[in-house]
Amino acid sequence: MEYVYTIVILSCVNVILASGFNLILGYGGLVSIAHPIFYAIGGYVSALVSMKLGVPPIFAVVIGTMAAAIASVGLSVPSLRISGDYLVIASIGFQLGLVHILNNLELTGQAGGLSNIPSIIELPGRTLVFSLIMIVVAGLCVLVIRKLVNGDFGRAIIAMRDDEEAFSALGRNPIKLKVVLFAVGSGMAGFAGSLYAHFFLYLTPDDFGIFTSAALLTMVVVGGAATTWGPVAGAVLLTVLPEAIKFLDLPVSIMAPLQGVIFTLLVIFFLYARPQGLLGGRRRGGGLEVWSSRGAYRSPDGGET
Amino acid sequence: MTLDLIGQLAWTGFATATYYSLFAMAFALVLKVNRVWDFAQAGTMVFAYFALYVAYTELGWSVVPGLLLGLVVTVAVALMLERFGFDVFRRRNSSILTFFIFTIVFSQFAIYLAELIFGTEPKTLTPTLISPVFMVGKIVVSHWDLKAIAVTGILALALYVFMRHTREGERLVAVADNPDLAEAYGISRKRAYAVSMALSAVLLLAGIYLFGTKAALFPSTPLNRLLVYAVIATILAGIGNVFAAGIAAVLLSLMQAFSILVIGSKWQALLAYILIFVAIIFFPRGVVLPERLSRLRRPAGPPSPDDDEGAAGEGIPAAGPGKR
Amino acid sequence: MSSSRRKSYVSGSWRAMKVLAVSGALVAMAWSPSSAEGTLKFGVADPLTGPAAIFGKDQMQAIRWAVEDINAKGGVMGRKLEAIILDHQAKPSVGITAVNRFVHVEKVPVFITAFSNVVKAVAPIANRNKVLMLSVGANSPEIKNLGKFVYTTFPLADVDMKALPKYLYGKLGKRKAAVLYVNHETGRAGAKVFRDNFIKAGGKVVLFESYEQQRSDFTGLVLKVKSANPDVVHIHSVIRDFTAIVAQMRQLGMAVQVTSYQTAFNPKMIKALGKGAEGIIVTALAPSVQDNKNLPAYLARWKKAYGREPIGLPYTQYFYDAPYIVANLYKWVLERKLPPTGENMRKALVSIKTMQLPLTNAVTFKEDHTVDKPVYYWQVKDGRFQLIGKSR
Repeated sequence: MEYVYTIVILSCVNVILASGFNLILGYGGLVSIAHPIFYAIGGYVSALVSMKLGVPPIFAVVIGTMAAAIASVGLSVPSLRISGDYLVIASIGFQLGLVHILNNLELTGQAGGLSNIPSIIELPGRTLVFSLIMIVVAGLCVLVIRKLVNGDFGRAIIAMRDDEEAFSALGRNPIKLKVVLFAVGSGMAGFAGSLYAHFFLYLTPDDFGIFTSAALLTMVVVGGAATTWGPVAGAVLLTVLPEAIKFLDLPVSIMAPLQGVIFTLLVIFFLYARPQGLLGGRRRGGGLEVWSSRGAYRSPDGGET
Repeated sequence: MTLDLIGQLAWTGFATATYYSLFAMAFALVLKVNRVWDFAQAGTMVFAYFALYVAYTELGWSVVPGLLLGLVVTVAVALMLERFGFDVFRRRNSSILTFFIFTIVFSQFAIYLAELIFGTEPKTLTPTLISPVFMVGKIVVSHWDLKAIAVTGILALALYVFMRHTREGERLVAVADNPDLAEAYGISRKRAYAVSMALSAVLLLAGIYLFGTKAALFPSTPLNRLLVYAVIATILAGIGNVFAAGIAAVLLSLMQAFSILVIGSKWQALLAYILIFVAIIFFPRGVVLPERLSRLRRPAGPPSPDDDEGAAGEGIPAAGPGKR
Repeated sequence: MSSSRRKSYVSGSWRAMKVLAVSGALVAMAWSPSSAEGTLKFGVADPLTGPAAIFGKDQMQAIRWAVEDINAKGGVMGRKLEAIILDHQAKPSVGITAVNRFVHVEKVPVFITAFSNVVKAVAPIANRNKVLMLSVGANSPEIKNLGKFVYTTFPLADVDMKALPKYLYGKLGKRKAAVLYVNHETGRAGAKVFRDNFIKAGGKVVLFESYEQQRSDFTGLVLKVKSANPDVVHIHSVIRDFTAIVAQMRQLGMAVQVTSYQTAFNPKMIKALGKGAEGIIVTALAPSVQDNKNLPAYLARWKKAYGREPIGLPYTQYFYDAPYIVANLYKWVLERKLPPTGENMRKALVSIKTMQLPLTNAVTFKEDHTVDKPVYYWQVKDGRFQLIGKSR
């Protein structure tokens, strides 16, 4: 049962990550592959302040979250000032660069990472207790995002999405909105990272690389971008599915790349056949196609090349 | 560091810059003509490499037949990406999000597929990486060095001649400049897209062949290492300047090589990642040379009447009605 | 119902059913009784994919043969030994999942694992759940401090990397060393021990640089080494990087003495480097055929099955012996009619203390959780490894 509780915890961590990423990608229309890095920053900062400065894990988690949000500004502001499209490129550099730093800095334990991180919960049955806590926490995160997106903030996002020029003409600043979205989403990733660090007590740069980027993208696209529950569905599915595959007793050596092939094929399939994801759709809205070129201009041949 | 060691560093740095240059030209070409940031080129490199790997190490073929197989595979992959990928999304008016996701995920897919089939251990195309050497003064020059420089030079020249002095090449440039106008003159957009993808495939194949005969490759190397330089060089050269991108790649690679004199070996790889930021923040329109102002290009998406005004705007105008 | 409502209802419930089915399968797994009554299980986590898989595969073959051999001779008190092998890809997060499975699903009292970074990551799990953990092949000196239930069967870096510098300084007269290492736990730890001991012996370390595992172009690094002008270059690497560095060194005309540790004990490396391999010195911590009478038969077995020597031969010797250690522990516990828990397996280890093993001779598990072994020095001569010395 311990094993099942651990899977529950991991699913909840992924729900938080995917929801935050969905805010950035699905609602904000910003492609960034650097989401795992904010996950990492949250985890490492939180771990380090508790290990080196003796900050209790609960507060360390808050610090980790804020560190991730602030760091995201370092990525979003320079690139968004130029163009939203440059963000994806900058995010590639950001992701690979920060992973490289984590791998080589003495402070972060280099390739070995950090171990013996102070635990946020020390009880008998800690896994069960923490899994229940995480379910609540993950649920809260999802609801926070839902609130954000359905209120004034959400209306601003939709207005910006539908016609950015008009949006600017009305005196609203699209860049500021995007930076805020990016910070909230990344802060959430940092939150997830800090919780992860203080429960599993071990962090290593390997967990924050391109594989994680691919997994998160799969969760959001397959679950349904720009929907509330899409990322939740994607996260749960993509946490549970690989574990289930392990039990199929396939040759052990192909398990890992096989997961990778399945994730990526799923994304490609959904991009083609069902860009709204599992839970997006005409009735509920959402999906990647909310970002297709539409609005005032249509090319004369209706877009046919 | 003595003078001849520095000379050696310069020479070998220059020789290894060749494959970076080929990758940069391939990336810049597709961006120019197809208007796509083709991150799927990393995946295409993976297919190219493993086609060569199968030909050389599993089928035991010699150099030329192996390259032919590689050519067939790589061109096929590139054409399929255009026909079944970019074209489909273009027709659907898909957002730039979709293009980015599609290209990046395609590369990841190729990497995992390669790991699944061939394993995750690093591979080499030849049983030994040592090639014969001879001395020029105090500098060691290897056969590989000469081969790489020759191959790159010939391909770059051929591309140049093609684009400037052949009908087909002129058509490519016309479509790159203004697809609607080009079609009005009877030039087929689809054909131009296909030709540019095929040319980029040739460049990618050559680059990965050179790389693979010099060093070992992990399936993930194209995405983590090789593509990054291609992207930086393309940005620095300014979108639309294919050959400038090739030169930018050489300069970048030389800079990377000389960095060992200043920073520890373990920090060298970071340079490329920092450069991406520098490139974007300070040179989003490329390092603009006085005689040619780079024409700014819109990436994937339906063309808009804003196209010609793009040069006056900031950075790349986004697909869709407004700027992002 | 409107058609779109129906569609979303169907797709929603379809997804729900999928998740439910999978969770159901998981719960069933977690609650299923342990496999075949009577087998004595132990876990083994090693890299079967990833850059380190080249070692992992041969190591697992050694384990499988050992289990077969033990069972063929009647097993442990009539019961068969069973190895549960999982891939950890030399990645800590995957290792944690694998070990969690050993502990909570398979419920083994002892498991074996390798690779310093994974060993460090899974140690807390072993300690918290009181399951005995045997580290085989990992050599970070920190392993001895990882906890009550963590023991190594393989000498840590402070054994061979202490002896080698002394040998180079004393026996071979080397005075200036350049040290290159791959940026991971083992590389760093080993390189540090080498450097500290070379300086202690009286030598000078003229260069101390690391590089990332994925690097392929070493030209700059090699030129830096050349300009530092050492008389020995010690490379603490994996495999491919070692070959690439030495290849580039030889290409640039550097004939300097090269040394490495046990991972370089690899005939494929000699083949890839050709003449460039001549003279390379490698330490090994497993006995040679001169010192172990079972080794020739073991080598013959490899020749027969695979037509070659195993990769990382000395490591596989330790892996072959590991099931024998486990068998001895089980025997001790069963003889005393104690339940085979991790606690009792640990008790067994501490009381037995010294064991005679087929391929690595005697091992003594010391109080401080370390083991001591003689260091063997091998040098490439005429295209093969030849023994040139032994410490202690």
